Amino acid sequence: MTDLIGRLAAIIHTLSNTLVDSPSANAVLAIALTLGAFMAGNRLFALLRSPILLPPVVIAACLLGLGLTILTVSYADYHKGAQWLTVLLGPATVALGVPLYQQMHHIRALWRPILFTLPIAALLAAGYAMIIAAAFGASPEVVASVAPKSVTAPIAIGITEQLGGSVSLMMGGLLITGVVATVFVDLAVRWMNIRDPRIIGFALGLNGHAIGTARAFELGTTAGAFASLGMGLTGIFTALTLPFVLRVFGF
Amino acid sequence: MVVLRGFLVLSVFFLLGEASRILFALPVSGGVIGMILLTATLMLRGRISDSLAQASGALISVLVLLIMPGVVGIFFQADAFSGQWLAIGLALVLGTLLSVLTTLWLLQRSVRRAGQEHGND
Repeated sequence: MTDLIGRLAAIIHTLSNTLVDSPSANAVLAIALTLGAFMAGNRLFALLRSPILLPPVVIAACLLGLGLTILTVSYADYHKGAQWLTVLLGPATVALGVPLYQQMHHIRALWRPILFTLPIAALLAAGYAMIIAAAFGASPEVVASVAPKSVTAPIAIGITEQLGGSVSLMMGGLLITGVVATVFVDLAVRWMNIRDPRIIGFALGLNGHAIGTARAFELGTTAGAFASLGMGLTGIFTALTLPFVLRVFGF
Repeated sequence: MVVLRGFLVLSVFFLLGEASRILFALPVSGGVIGMILLTATLMLRGRISDSLAQASGALISVLVLLIMPGVVGIFFQADAFSGQWLAIGLALVLGTLLSVLTTLWLLQRSVRRAGQEHGND
């Protein structure tokens, strides 16, 4: 039995290494693995009845990591092949401008509180994390990687690259932030006795990016709309200000 | 074809963003600049074409697929951050708790004040 598994592993190893050596096969392999994990992650998420603490992207990433390990494909090879997917992040970031434009009219209902809160809260979302990380001895690379933790993924990737952080660490931090922000908003709203769905939604989008926004849409369309707005504005504001603020402080 | 036309618009705005990033040496990614240019253009025009709405909806619906190659890297690069996990964990969890409380407090305060000034509520 163990001999059979060993022989099977050897065959898989030879096969995947042959594929990885050809650039086009490597690219299609990377795309196929990512697509497969993405679809399986969505399926599993629905089967588990949409657990708020386990978003589809976390499930999909675990499945993908498992797949790469079984096929003995190195992360460097996978990453090279997956560039056919990641290159689309640029146009996808631009695409976020469309829902932002569609939600923009909600600003009118609450423009003063939003204009007052957004700059302070968005900078503090980054600032708290950076100060805590630095205080506990994190390296500059790690501090730069936790800075955009409340920003939606495609924009955060751009920020991390500009600041010189690790995209993978930032992405892990982003997911954790999204999940804990959702839990903390739920708890804090009860504790502070806040019932206005506009406030709850905006706080979810500002702190918890896409994961918080998904939660806001479960609470209702008003909360969802304000979450989308909060997510978009936080992304733009952080991307525009954080690199300049850090440059002033000589980061 | 309709979706492709929208995708072309998104690509052009991304290229405009990248070009301005490089030309003006901006520390902001080309995607974000393109997104701001697109939002501003849409606000000036006051309407959005079907093809652009469809293309952006399609891309946004597969965003998770596009970020997965970056996410999965954490499993393979975790060793590089050994000894810093306490700092990272505290920054994420405590930092998020503080920023959630700050956001809610600021919003609640300013919404109340705006309500009082208008004389309603």
